[in-house]
Amino acid sequence: MEKLTKSQIDKAIALLKMPVDSKLVTHLNACVHCGLCAKSCMYYKVTKENKFIPARKVDLVASLYRRYCTLTGKVVPFLVNARELDEEMANEMIDMLFGGCTMCGRCVKHCSIGVDIAYVVHVGRRMLAAMGLVPESLQSTVDMALKTGNNMGIPTEDFVDTIQWMEEELMDEYGKEACIPLNEQGRKILYTLNPREPKFFPLSILAMAKIFFAAKESWTISTNMYDVTNYGLFNGDNEQAKQIAKRLHDEVIQMQSRLLVLGECGHGSRANRWEAPNYLSRPYEFGVVTVVELINEYIRGGRITLDKSLNQELVTIHDPCNLVRNGGLLSEIRFAVKHAVSDFVEMTPCGIDNFCCGGGGGQLSMSEYNERRLQSGKIKADQILATGAKVVITPCHNCVDQITQLNHTYKLGIKIKTIAEIVADALVINNTKNNEKKNNESDNKQYFQI
Amino acid sequence: MWWYQYLSLAALFVCISACIWHFFRLIRLGKPKELSEKSGSIMRAEVYSYTTAMLPAQKESAYLHIPTYVSGILFHIGTFICLFLFFVFFFVDPLVFRDWLILAMALLLISLFLIISIVCGLFLFFKRIVLKKIRTLSTLDDYLSNLLTTSFQLVTAFYLIFPEEAVIYYYILASILLLYLPVGKLRHVVYFFAARYQLGFFYGWRNSWPPKKQK
Ligand code: SF4
Ligand code: SF4
Repeated sequence: MEKLTKSQIDKAIALLKMPVDSKLVTHLNACVHCGLCAKSCMYYKVTKENKFIPARKVDLVASLYRRYCTLTGKVVPFLVNARELDEEMANEMIDMLFGGCTMCGRCVKHCSIGVDIAYVVHVGRRMLAAMGLVPESLQSTVDMALKTGNNMGIPTEDFVDTIQWMEEELMDEYGKEACIPLNEQGRKILYTLNPREPKFFPLSILAMAKIFFAAKESWTISTNMYDVTNYGLFNGDNEQAKQIAKRLHDEVIQMQSRLLVLGECGHGSRANRWEAPNYLSRPYEFGVVTVVELINEYIRGGRITLDKSLNQELVTIHDPCNLVRNGGLLSEIRFAVKHAVSDFVEMTPCGIDNFCCGGGGGQLSMSEYNERRLQSGKIKADQILATGAKVVITPCHNCVDQITQLNHTYKLGIKIKTIAEIVADALVINNTKNNEKKNNESDNKQYFQI
Repeated sequence: MWWYQYLSLAALFVCISACIWHFFRLIRLGKPKELSEKSGSIMRAEVYSYTTAMLPAQKESAYLHIPTYVSGILFHIGTFICLFLFFVFFFVDPLVFRDWLILAMALLLISLFLIISIVCGLFLFFKRIVLKKIRTLSTLDDYLSNLLTTSFQLVTAFYLIFPEEAVIYYYILASILLLYLPVGKLRHVVYFFAARYQLGFFYGWRNSWPPKKQK
């Protein structure tokens, strides 16, 4: 690494010196170094290396805070291990805060004090971003999204081809009125996707299209902006995160949709449901909901009918950290799955206690940490094996990708599905007028009010 | 009052002022700014954060480390008892307690409890030295904070039993502890509560806390 300039250091330290609220100061002062969080982190559990203890990651940032922002750290730095921000420190931060943490937040719940370790790690990433030290692989994903409108750089023609192909499949099954509407202004819903879907898992799009068709929904996809992901959440550059969030926000307005539906992507849902209004410094003018909640509305409102017996295999759920622990969707996910499958078993632990699959926090895009990522996923692999399930359901395409790789690496012999896929498999489509009536009645439901 | 008592009073004043400064700095910085649409109940999550979420069954830091957890709890109880007595002794001389059998017995029992608490403090201290995992995480401040608190408990126990002999050491050590508290890690006496508040706010906003019962 080149020598850090004063300007780089100043930019990074400014983030510690100018907190926007009490959260940062609280969490940087709260850790008591008890070390009891170690076993809550999959990285430490798998490697037994001390550097992966969550508190060590907090301390990378907190030691800088002590050095530059506290009297004790300035006067007697050796007393409180107040460290200088130099190249060695920056390298450690890159390795641990980008390459050794998925910001899953599991350790947060188990911390003896309540230090928000994942949040502090994110602040550390912001400091690295301010110094221009984001790993190139992760930064290129963000750059691609900024440049092309989707993080995989899929050309619009290819995207349209894929959608048309799926539409043909849909029409083959349900007739000409079944379609995937593209760029239709004034539709109630603007639906978003993880670009992995058009690229690798187009059947996911088909599954959701079936559900929309069965529910007689008014929806569209925009070819201009359909990407639900926002890797700006991971690279620590809030300005870039804001640009990506703004593009999606503006598209909802431009398409005159009343409801933004976030496709099955954990971090994308988090970024757009919880973080984006803060990036944009204003609340949304439209409704926003995850696809899991939307499907549940359809089930509750009788707009779709499911037959559990169509999914007979033993199923388990992997809870994406950003949807469950950090997103509150624990019972929503179970509601959908339990209506769609006949045989279900929980992982141990599960819900807000669940282990991250290892693919979060941008790990999937940082190929330099591939080996570590797959190693950390061993816990998830063991959890899956212990359930005996044949199918793992997870409403996140990044988790799908990681678990697919775990399936291969640890020879799990499982199938991996999203919620839309398992629900579509259980769909009983009764294309009746009654359905249309229910659709109209539920137009005024909570999500659709503006 | 003797000079050492004045000293400890001054230290107490500094300590409380500094803790109030820490507290008001947090108040001034304000609660987290959130513009997303709230999904859960902050109030219920805060209650959960300060109560059930702290139960041993909820936290791996507790149920996977029972000896450390129990030691930590006893050590903290011991510390709070000592701080409470420190206030009491400004108004009542411990010698007075000897005139009442029940009070004398109570002091003896407290001393016995403090011995257990001191053992717990030493256990945590040596654990920090012996286990590499925790040693690599520790700063001089961690050792010093533990030693000061344990010593304060020790001298309190002595003071309860031998008030005349221990009185100077008691007030001098109390003064050092009180002066050190706001600058070292002992200031978690303020930040612990702030951290629990922040967690309650974060998870409550997103409807993740209190956790839903899985049917
Ligand atoms: S459990 Fe919490 S307080 Fe203890 S070392 Fe870990 S982060 Fe710090
Ligand atoms: S947030 Fe997750 S990956 Fe990061 S330290 Fe905590 S448990 Fe480990």
